[in-house]
Amino acid sequence: MKPPPVKYARAGDVQEAIALLTEHGSDAKVLAGGQSLIPLMNFRLARPSILIDINRVRELDYVREDNGTLAIGAMTRQRDVETSSVAAASVPLLPEVLRHVGHITNRNRGTVGGSLAHADPAAELPALVTGLGGELVVQGPNGVRTIPAEDFFMSTFTTALEPDEVLIGVRLPRLPGGTGVAVEELARRHGDFAIVAAMAAVHLAPDRSVDLVRLAVSGVDSVPVRLHAAEDALTGGRPSAEAIEAAAATVADAIHPADDVHAPASYRRDMAQLLVKRVAKAALERSETKS
Amino acid sequence: MTIIEPVESQTKYTGTRVRRTEDPRLLAGRGQYIDDVTVPKMIEAAVLRSPLAHARITNIDVSRARAHPGVFDVLTGQDLATVAGQQPVIWFPIPEQRIAKTHALAVDQVRWVGQAVAAVVAVDRYVAEDALELIDIDYEPLPVVADLDAALAPDAPKLYDDWPDNVSGSLTYTAGDPDAAFASADLVVSASFRHGRAFGCPLEPRGCIVNWDTFAGSLDVWLSTQSPNLARDLLAEVFGIPVHKIRVRTPNLGGGFGNKFDFYGEEVIAAVLSRRTGRPVKLIEDRAESFVATSHSRDQRLDFEMALRSDGTILGLRGVSYGVLGGAFGTVGSGPPWASVLTCMGPYKIPNMDVTVKAVMTNRSPYGSYRGWGVPKGNIVHERLIELAARKLGMDRTEIRRKNFPAPEEFPFFTGVAFTYDSGRYADCLDLATSKIDELGWRERQARARAEGRSVGIGYSFHVEPSAYGPSRILNLVGLAHSGFDEVTVRMDSIGKVTIYSGQINMGQGTHTIYAQLAADTLGIPMDDVVVITGDTDSCPYTGYGTGGSRAAPLGGAAILRAGERLRAKILRIAAELLEASPEDLQIQDGQISVKGTTGRSVSTRDVGDAAYRRLLNRLPEGETPTLEEVDVFDPPNMATSYGCTALLVEVDRETGTVSLLDCLQAHDCGTVINPMLVDGQLAGGLAQALGGALLEELVYDEEGQLKTASFMDYLLPTAMEIPPFHFYHQETPAPDIPGGIKGVGEAGPIAGVSLVGSAIDDALSDLGVAVTRFPCTPPRLLELIREAQSRKEGSA
Amino acid sequence: MSDKLTVSMTINGHTYTADCEPRLTLADFIRHGCGLTGTHLGCEQGVCGACTIIVDGRTVRACLVLAVQADGSTITTVEGLARGDELNPLQEAFWANHGLQCGFCTPGMLMSATEFLKANPEPTAEEVRECLSGNLCRCTGYDSIVKSVLDAAQKLRA
Repeated sequence: MKPPPVKYARAGDVQEAIALLTEHGSDAKVLAGGQSLIPLMNFRLARPSILIDINRVRELDYVREDNGTLAIGAMTRQRDVETSSVAAASVPLLPEVLRHVGHITNRNRGTVGGSLAHADPAAELPALVTGLGGELVVQGPNGVRTIPAEDFFMSTFTTALEPDEVLIGVRLPRLPGGTGVAVEELARRHGDFAIVAAMAAVHLAPDRSVDLVRLAVSGVDSVPVRLHAAEDALTGGRPSAEAIEAAAATVADAIHPADDVHAPASYRRDMAQLLVKRVAKAALERSETKS
Repeated sequence: MTIIEPVESQTKYTGTRVRRTEDPRLLAGRGQYIDDVTVPKMIEAAVLRSPLAHARITNIDVSRARAHPGVFDVLTGQDLATVAGQQPVIWFPIPEQRIAKTHALAVDQVRWVGQAVAAVVAVDRYVAEDALELIDIDYEPLPVVADLDAALAPDAPKLYDDWPDNVSGSLTYTAGDPDAAFASADLVVSASFRHGRAFGCPLEPRGCIVNWDTFAGSLDVWLSTQSPNLARDLLAEVFGIPVHKIRVRTPNLGGGFGNKFDFYGEEVIAAVLSRRTGRPVKLIEDRAESFVATSHSRDQRLDFEMALRSDGTILGLRGVSYGVLGGAFGTVGSGPPWASVLTCMGPYKIPNMDVTVKAVMTNRSPYGSYRGWGVPKGNIVHERLIELAARKLGMDRTEIRRKNFPAPEEFPFFTGVAFTYDSGRYADCLDLATSKIDELGWRERQARARAEGRSVGIGYSFHVEPSAYGPSRILNLVGLAHSGFDEVTVRMDSIGKVTIYSGQINMGQGTHTIYAQLAADTLGIPMDDVVVITGDTDSCPYTGYGTGGSRAAPLGGAAILRAGERLRAKILRIAAELLEASPEDLQIQDGQISVKGTTGRSVSTRDVGDAAYRRLLNRLPEGETPTLEEVDVFDPPNMATSYGCTALLVEVDRETGTVSLLDCLQAHDCGTVINPMLVDGQLAGGLAQALGGALLEELVYDEEGQLKTASFMDYLLPTAMEIPPFHFYHQETPAPDIPGGIKGVGEAGPIAGVSLVGSAIDDALSDLGVAVTRFPCTPPRLLELIREAQSRKEGSA
Repeated sequence: MSDKLTVSMTINGHTYTADCEPRLTLADFIRHGCGLTGTHLGCEQGVCGACTIIVDGRTVRACLVLAVQADGSTITTVEGLARGDELNPLQEAFWANHGLQCGFCTPGMLMSATEFLKANPEPTAEEVRECLSGNLCRCTGYDSIVKSVLDAAQKLRA
């Protein structure tokens, strides 16, 4: 399990990374935290000709809030986001979700951008960014562009990132104060990729009607799925068991799970529906207590 | 009953929680595992493995690999077969069984994914792996026999053309009159149990370094093995080299669990590469390879039924254990599925039996040793069936067990099949476990949870663990081409310190510590004065079999006690000369020898050592041989059977089928407990493996014979989050046939723990009448059982 | 062939400098390049945790970092824990509580627990279990490791 021969270049800043990508073309691979790429290379399933290491691009290591948006640099370590008070105050779902991403040592090294660019459909962070309607910020030779999460994730391990572009950051809308959040993950073991993960954020208006719902699932499609129909079913009315049932009933149509060695598609479908109910209920309970 | 003379010893260390002598260097990062060993001029090898489950090799072209810079040699099966015989098999339990043997590298046909087909040796492992990619092999695919049903189908493709079918052989044991028993029974319960493929998966993969010196005609081997003497004998067999020209050394083992008992093709491949290159060759199995190249185990179907009277008395047991073997025999052949049949009656008196083992070949990796060695599946049969019977009869699960135990005075107890259990107080052990369940408040926890609508259950498993494998002649009789005795040398040196040489291996279980405890107590010296040497066939004695079958403590321990006793007598004779006293009047305490009951003059073992080795004049008694050394060979007259009652508290999520393990306890009897801390460690570690096997771990094959779980992302070892806390309680019923009364303990957990999970899940879902019969019990599988039970219940309501 | 690069790093207080291929993992560099074989390789895919080391104050999987990436880093491996020939309190606690059997996972466990205890001086058993869930042990059943870490935490507080 030794990686194949590869060249190595260390980028000092984003411009340099883009220049290296442009120079080496699609055989080049950007090396972020390495928690997915290096195992693939050790199995010799990935064999880039050159690694462009962006671990020392300090400008991509930040967590800050401006104008109602939480902005996270692509090279921010997952553990730093998990323990960031700025992130927790702005998007309280983040630390809860990150606890399910691998283990502490993986998160020490693993980056937010790396997980998003890798686009594993079972991973938690892509689902969170999709569910919250986040935007991915990418930079290429022609400058910076912003891609909504639902357009960014195209298929398993496939994103809208062009070969000469680098993911530089992600922007998440701040959740209003009093938002209740919940995440539930069905995994074979703690820290594993989810068979199904579901996450919810819910906010109540002063009249206690639901005025904001965000629901997402991972592990049940080739991309993370934001559950728009379920969100719609919950929005506007008072929280109720019936409303949650109605929301959950829309889940099956929104996802396309596949069989794998850990669970058949039918199980994933059922569990997606169940977990959506559970997180919606939990988030509602928490939002009510905060209102 | 054979009576063995008790050995005189004090018990300053035995029975206490002595910290391990092995630990400081391991904690400091100074351990030396196989990949840490570097031999001068060493080069490194890697193995190319078959991507197909069944195929003919039509062409191999190694020219590109051979030309790759840094490559020393490339080896194919044809090359290997000119200097090496086929991989040896040592277990032949089924008379007239067909034995499927193969070379370490496939010669013309592959029969499992991952079978070794070629090897490269190069300057380092990176380059060796590069060169593997340059070997071109043409395969002609053959029809695949992917699982048991496919293998037994009437028109099944055959793995071996000259066999009539895919069945290697079968063997039936009968006792009493099973047909009459079943005909007269009030109740018959039956089930088809399945245990998926799993393996021991030591955290350190296997490895070796072999230096074949063709000028000296010698083979110098570093090998991560539990059985260096066996490996040495088998290397001699494979290569036709005299045994005394082969040296096998074993560094620290990063776990063994039976997987490192077996003898593998890689040590043969490395040897041939060394012979051809004139260089020492290191060959380390990496994690990816481990899933296909280390022995698989557990894979079995067991179709069994139990006949009972309405009062819960078991009348009979019958059934078939299908061993789902791989594409060729591993070292231990069909031994483990056979052992399931030998132990399928467990701790119960069952007068009438008709039990069969059937060994079947499939296009999967070879079957081999894994801690428990078939007995975990025997346990599934008796423990699951007795609980199904209790349910049908409306009996308490512990009462029905108690009713069928042999009483303490019925030992030695012949099971009716092969084993004679030496001693046991089964009912006491069961009571101990149930009393601890009460003490720990599990029943209240269960009641509270149920009141909250949560499904919490308590599971039980009563197990027996035949340990201390010997006796040699019996092992030979039942088909082992090897022995079961153990030999040790206990040597006191010229300054009165002691070295023990043993053929057993220290693979994490703390053998060095317990041997030092026993020797120190027997000789009356401080433990610090004892060093234990294992893992070198040039300096250490022979042990039959190897370190497997829970042998190291009872057999090695007995041999140390017996040798130590004789050495102690000699020490006293010499001390008597020095003290001008009679040996009978002397005692040894903390290395000081003095006249009992006096505070007068004493001499130390240092003085005795000096008198025996250096300044003999007027100090070593006339007629006494110089030196202080005793050798003992202990071949037990019977095995020692440990046993225990395990209980588990679980919670089941009925909506997802997930199982959380909340708490676990085990009441256990392994005779004399040498070191309770280490015994508990053995029990806990073994249980964790069983819990993994019951819920998480499975080597899953698809219909093409491809392994779908060939990484740590998919083969799921339990983590600290999945495994519950443990509580252990000991009762000590000394083994009557083993000096010191020690029974083995290493396999208790794996044997007990799988059926245990089934029992606990069943209890959590008792209102539904779920019966878990297939392991691992994954969330989708359990949810299916729950839904079936729910619809059954609704249907009948 | 990929060209070799010169890397230099400080491991347990000693500076190691070598030319290495970019593909060489940090784990192999430490084990074979520096002779510090206490860092073990159990999977080379970042799951088992046996190769856990501390790089610039944080634990990482040494099998998932390339040696060239660690150029200029300050690293602690298991060999850097003992004080001279005395085990540190965490190592002592593992010894006293039978927190190891074969010892193969132990270096990784010790490194993970070292980082954890620094940030969590008064952990619960459940927190210790979560912290250690990224380190596989096949021998102990974990309970004794959890006890070892809790024991060390108590001793370090005292």
